[in-house]
Amino acid sequence: MDLFLNRLFDAISNGSAYALIAMALVMIFKATTLINFAQGEMAMFGAFAVMVVALEWNWPAWVAVIVGMVFMAAVGAGIERTLIRPFDPADHLPLVIITLGLFLAINALAGIIWRFDPRAFPELFPSGNALTIGGATLSWYTVGVVSTAVLTAGVLTILLNKTKIGLAFRAVSSNLESSRLVGIRVGPTLQFGWALAAAVGTLGAAVYVADPIRALEPSVMVRVLIFASAAAALGGLDSLWGAIVGGLTIGAVQSIIVPYTPIPNELSLAAAVVVLMLVLWFKPSGLFGTAQVERV
Amino acid sequence: MLEVSGLQGGYGQIQVLHGLDFRVDEGEVVVILGANGAGKTTTLRALSGMIETKGSISFNGEELVGKGAADIVRMGMAHVPQGRGTLPELSVEDNLRVGAYTRTDNEVDDDMDRWYEVYPVLKERHNQRAGSLSGGEQQMLAVARALMSRPTLLLLDEPSLGLAPIIVQDLFERFKQINTDTGTTMLVVEQNAQLALGIAHRGYVLESGHISVSGAADDLINDDAIRKAYLGV
Amino acid sequence: MAARFQLTQGTSRYRTYKWVAWGLWILVLVLFAFAYADTASIEILGNKYNLGLPRTSKALTFAIAVLGLQVIVGYTGQLALGQSFFFGTGAYLSAWLVADHDWSWIVSLLVVVPVCFLLGMLFGLPALRIRGLYLALVTLGLAATFPAIVQLDALDEYTGGAAGKTVDSDLVAPGWFESLANGIAGVLQSLPLLGQYFGEGDPSSKEVDRIYRFALIVILIFVLIWLVSNLLKSRTGRSIRAIRDNETSAAVSGVDLTMAKTLSFGLASAIGGIGGMVYVAELGIASPGDFTQLLSILFIVGLVTGGVGTLSGAVVGGLVIAFVPEWASSTEEFPGIPERWLQGPTGSFILGVLLIVLMFFMPGGIIAGVRKIRARFLVVTPAAPLELGAPTGTEADSGSSVTDDTPTGDAQPDEPAGGDTPDEVPTT
Repeated sequence: MDLFLNRLFDAISNGSAYALIAMALVMIFKATTLINFAQGEMAMFGAFAVMVVALEWNWPAWVAVIVGMVFMAAVGAGIERTLIRPFDPADHLPLVIITLGLFLAINALAGIIWRFDPRAFPELFPSGNALTIGGATLSWYTVGVVSTAVLTAGVLTILLNKTKIGLAFRAVSSNLESSRLVGIRVGPTLQFGWALAAAVGTLGAAVYVADPIRALEPSVMVRVLIFASAAAALGGLDSLWGAIVGGLTIGAVQSIIVPYTPIPNELSLAAAVVVLMLVLWFKPSGLFGTAQVERV
Repeated sequence: MLEVSGLQGGYGQIQVLHGLDFRVDEGEVVVILGANGAGKTTTLRALSGMIETKGSISFNGEELVGKGAADIVRMGMAHVPQGRGTLPELSVEDNLRVGAYTRTDNEVDDDMDRWYEVYPVLKERHNQRAGSLSGGEQQMLAVARALMSRPTLLLLDEPSLGLAPIIVQDLFERFKQINTDTGTTMLVVEQNAQLALGIAHRGYVLESGHISVSGAADDLINDDAIRKAYLGV
Repeated sequence: MAARFQLTQGTSRYRTYKWVAWGLWILVLVLFAFAYADTASIEILGNKYNLGLPRTSKALTFAIAVLGLQVIVGYTGQLALGQSFFFGTGAYLSAWLVADHDWSWIVSLLVVVPVCFLLGMLFGLPALRIRGLYLALVTLGLAATFPAIVQLDALDEYTGGAAGKTVDSDLVAPGWFESLANGIAGVLQSLPLLGQYFGEGDPSSKEVDRIYRFALIVILIFVLIWLVSNLLKSRTGRSIRAIRDNETSAAVSGVDLTMAKTLSFGLASAIGGIGGMVYVAELGIASPGDFTQLLSILFIVGLVTGGVGTLSGAVVGGLVIAFVPEWASSTEEFPGIPERWLQGPTGSFILGVLLIVLMFFMPGGIIAGVRKIRARFLVVTPAAPLELGAPTGTEADSGSSVTDDTPTGDAQPDEPAGGDTPDEVPTT
């Protein structure tokens, strides 16, 4: 029972981190129906920025996180303006290839600047345990990550539903042409989406790496991207709360289901991919997504 | 109010409009008729800045050619696209709100109430997903949305398309009503000549990217040329 | 642009041109092989750059993988990011057969090809339901799992775990080849002016072995290109290409989507597996870290650099993705760039940026660029009208060309007159 609870807490903790990155993916997908394969690397780069601000400039940890988020938001906006906007939004292949190029370039850039030795990362949540149930421990870290994910989803939902720019964003996701016809400036709206996604991604990477057992290094998000995209796709790529459900599901697969099966733990990634394939097989638009109709 | 001359436009390699000349005066309802493929939708898209154009479009004295859609909307033109262009995942109310996107005053809610009065069915369904509305209801929504920006010129692209005759009848009556009550100038593009000319002051016929006939609505209704254009004979 | 020469396919003049082009290419390859049979290096700006046959051979193995990718991405238009999985499978499978069971490399192909083909078809199945970006996602996930699979404790004895699987590359040149090589070397050495680049005396046996392996790989590539090219002209091939242009239309026109998609996945994976086999044959070791999803992305870089939809582009792409990182890490000094920067993964950075730049300026890749230039001097016209009724790949696609491509300037085996699409491709 204790083991189960500990595994459950692991699942929730990892799942929430995946959910954050997944939310970033969802934001970009909603706006552009594109999967930003560079999201993980952008998040990683943001986490490095946070590290620099917190550990080299010695600013308070959460201030560093905000700074990192703002920094990456600017980078995200810049990427949209220079690399994405020039292309026809309907033609996905060139855009996806650009995100792949970004994946490579950003990953390498981080390696060039900061090398590959694992780095310390500031503590974002109090150490120690919030709760002890028998032999199982619920750490403050887990509480922190989950709260962050839920809060973020909440803030994003409010942003999208109650603000003017959120309305514009939802309009653009829904019908690009009509959005133009009511005077929405699509470019800046998309830019906003990319900036927001980059910020959320950075937050996700930061809380992920803040786990005392993890260290920050350039390849830290490479695997996480897979888990996060599986989470996003599971939830239906255009649903924020779907991303949370998806994240928790993937976390559960990784930390609860796999340990109880003969599948070796090293293959938890493979298990997540298989789960994804199964869901997509039966429900191509994910659990909560809106079905896409294809026009000949 | 609107003075178009030598308008050319199309989609990349395919040029659809080959030099159009027409005008719309303030307070009028003007109709552009034509068969499928004549270029009616393209004409409206040219006006609202959705495609590249050559020639001249003078709107309230300002030149529109070369301007983007976002600017043109802010100059007072609203375009109800073919097929309604509803934002299906958003609520009816959000659809209306989006229509007022370019406005900076605080009378948006008042306007919404006003359009709820004109189209009570929208009020009934104001929280529903717009995609769940019937075709006729979506058309009303699309028009109300366009009017939320308080345009001086309203462009309507084939409002009757895909709708049952009874609904369409009602729709057009309301258009006429809006024109007389608010004085909003309208440019309607339609295949249903009878209906359109019934509410219009003047009309044009478009044939393969050229204006072939023009005149007062009453004259056009009785004209052989209409039948010619309509049947493409 | 004024065309200087006009050649019509099917005429004897065209045939002559093709034979001459072939001949020139073979000559270049022979010269290259003999000049760089020893571990050669160039010095530029104080940095030593390796340019030897072994490295070129490695580049060619990547080219094979990229060629496989062309079948899926270039011709069916689906983005698949799992090629490193099959590349790795081919490598490990053949390494195990050769090292532990004394099979010869050629014979190991009999296992590698079907296994990879079947695995590819198996993963082609999700492609039936999953479209576009989801497919890219799933295949990327697949590629990411390869190192973990190969390092499983249960498979340790087959795969050598984290340390990898070593194999003695015992492809030794047979006697007749040695004599041939000696003869060629002698001829080359006696050339005025150029003779000095080809060494002195008979090439060492190591060098002869290298040249032999190089020759084998080159022949393999030509064979594969020829096979794929012919396949794509066949009926099955055309249905594969129809998928790229418009899936729904293809289905409606009677193309058996299931068959075509799974076949193309199978084929692409089989070719990837072959590449992996050659890779480990040349390198002598297969280690898990070599086959991550980063490699899959690298293959995409190669694909795009060479030119999506071109077969000869695979070779160009392979060369680029093998040599750029190699040379980048050999660069220890470069004016204007701090040394610290040069010590990192500069090669990958360059490739990432290259990919982005290409999409802006040369989406058709290098081959498209070369074709444009060639088109200034040479126009190839088809001999007869195109066959009607069969969905052909469109030349109007930005930057992608239809199958009838070959290594630039090269000949294809004699084509039947008519039914071929022009060589020239308008690129946007």
